[in-house]
Amino acid sequence: MDLKQILKKNRESFIKKWFQAAIDTYPLQTAKVLGKDSNRFDNPIGAVTHESIEDVFDLIMENFSQETLEKALDPIIRIRAVQAFSASEAVSFVFALKQIGENFIDGSLIREFDKIVDQIALASFNKYMKCKQEIFLLKATESKRRIHRAFERAGLVAELKEEDLLGSKNS
Amino acid sequence: MSDELKPDELLDKIDYGPRSGSRPDSASGNWMDTTASVQIRPGMYCYAAKAESVETLGLPNAREWNPLDKDWKLPDNWQEIIFQGLKDRLEKFRTFKVFMDICVRCGACADKCHFFLGTGDPKNMPVLRAELLRSVYRNDFSTAAKILGKIPGGKALAGARPMTIDVLKEWWYYFFQCTECRRCSVFCPYGIDTAEITIMAREIFNLLGLNIDWIATPVSNCFKTGNHLGIQPHAFKDMLEFFVEDIEDVTGVDCTPQFQKKGADILFITPSGDVFADPGTYTCEGYLILFKYLKDKYGLDVTWSTYASEGGNFGFFTSHETMKRLNAKMYAEAKRLGVKWILGGECGHMWRVLHQYMDTMNGPADFLEEPVNPITGTKFENARSTKMVHITEFTADLIKHGKLELDKSRNANRIMTFHDSCNPARGMGLLDEPRYIIENVCDNFYEMPPNTIREQTFCCGSGSGLNAGENMELRMAGALPRANAVKYVHEKFGVNTLGTICAIDRATLTTLCEYWVPDVEVYGIHELVGNALILPGEKKRTEDLRFEPLPGVEEEEDE
Repeated sequence: MDLKQILKKNRESFIKKWFQAAIDTYPLQTAKVLGKDSNRFDNPIGAVTHESIEDVFDLIMENFSQETLEKALDPIIRIRAVQAFSASEAVSFVFALKQIGENFIDGSLIREFDKIVDQIALASFNKYMKCKQEIFLLKATESKRRIHRAFERAGLVAELKEEDLLGSKNS
Repeated sequence: MSDELKPDELLDKIDYGPRSGSRPDSASGNWMDTTASVQIRPGMYCYAAKAESVETLGLPNAREWNPLDKDWKLPDNWQEIIFQGLKDRLEKFRTFKVFMDICVRCGACADKCHFFLGTGDPKNMPVLRAELLRSVYRNDFSTAAKILGKIPGGKALAGARPMTIDVLKEWWYYFFQCTECRRCSVFCPYGIDTAEITIMAREIFNLLGLNIDWIATPVSNCFKTGNHLGIQPHAFKDMLEFFVEDIEDVTGVDCTPQFQKKGADILFITPSGDVFADPGTYTCEGYLILFKYLKDKYGLDVTWSTYASEGGNFGFFTSHETMKRLNAKMYAEAKRLGVKWILGGECGHMWRVLHQYMDTMNGPADFLEEPVNPITGTKFENARSTKMVHITEFTADLIKHGKLELDKSRNANRIMTFHDSCNPARGMGLLDEPRYIIENVCDNFYEMPPNTIREQTFCCGSGSGLNAGENMELRMAGALPRANAVKYVHEKFGVNTLGTICAIDRATLTTLCEYWVPDVEVYGIHELVGNALILPGEKKRTEDLRFEPLPGVEEEEDE
């Protein structure tokens, strides 16, 4: 069996264990709530974490690129980027996959699997930084949008326009 | 037998709640041991109140201080001030006393708070946030806890702890991570209103000069100048006149408002955010269009005021006394002008203050008339005592009686959902009027899931004075449950517009969408009314109030 077949065969177990590992990065009492299989609107972190993990896992069973990985990781990282995690803690759940993999994957394939996990980790870090940059940009532009734009429109102030600031988002 | 635990040691091993933080070094196992865990984290807290703003209001201990500093420059007798502050409030507010005693820690509220659901911080479970204060109450006030305290280990059993500087810092950090939205209270079998506990905690902070600047400076501005931004009367008037020019460009009709007109029928008051902050400004243009229409068609005489130029009331987030001082202005102006009653704009906490506090605080407003819509004859019996009517009640009534000529097609490109703002929804039960208006001015309206709207609505994450910039991580985390539902209707029904009737929402949901659901825009309900309303004598409209082409117009031009 090649690596992808092993992953496919053990998909449910992988996802279950990986989800639990991600939820266990939260404080004990929180993890009890987030780990519950409740309505996705009553438990957004749990639901989004589960969906995102499923998407990433399905992706690595197929052909994937850095770009598709980042897209699949977006929902989970977007949440972790605004929580009390340090940068390393925010992406740490990815590395739990290595340990989980050891239960299912033979020695000869483990190196190949670890390389995939490394790629997920790198994509996670990229995404984390992008989310943080978005937060900084929101901080910089919000007050301007809230008050200055109205004044600008009224011709009461003439300064750097909001578009000039927002332009950096596209670059 | 020597290795057996003594009773008090055994009690110390009881897990009263979550371990604090995710790092093992802070996981003591006992939630009341907080000295290791309270780290005021940048991105999660708001800057300290400026001394001058605290001074304006004559509140105590005005000085420069920084929440990250070890020394908060408190008065020497700060513990005594807190003790006396708690004592006074326990005697004055029966609800507060009941809420301190009655909680059975059933946990029904635990996973209902948007800040808990978004941050994953267990101290944001409403029960635990309240417990931060209750633990001190039990230590200092509760008779049962005092008796328990006399037996070995009893203090831990009662959940009591003494007031220390670390406890105070923890209070400050977490009571400024509550938006007083009251979603938790909907689920509490005893009806404990955790918002009220936060309100009391914040009053106590103000006894020590521990307000945040995003609240203190707007309150000071409002007290001095008349609105949160400190905009002077001439600039307030300039902004409205500028809107008039924009409206004329779009409609060809001059909608110039009246200011301070004595003997007008109605005094209109809206949050200043509608006048100065996008996208609320477009909602403001909607009001101007509506009033012009009603004047031309039915002779309704509405006046604005540059004195009562603020509907919002950040005093509510400071203390009852401060709230009262700011609220009084509205009624003073209504009395001075001799209007019949007051019409209020799309605002959030303004309506909570009105509905739940005004009547016993500054009321009854017996110098005003019981509000009757002069066009339809509808009596607003719910406002019999406060004499103040919400503009969506007013507009919904006009639509119901067929008094407005509306062209829905101008909003055909808006695929709507509606965010119930916490205060109008849970604070005064205003649920159906905004929806009724939306359905009459738009073709496409989809509700978010039932456990995220109406009484169960999720907060924007930035209410109660927490809409500053420096606490953006907190705001975005708190916004997650709301955003999660918006994203769902966006993906399922193609929703591109989030309607709301709160000025803070209009500003903060815009930021929420930018981070979580970038393709959704935020609109006030009267902006949609302004687009749809057919003004007498208007030109053929080709643009909406944002100067975007009206649906269908682009194609026509292309042809």
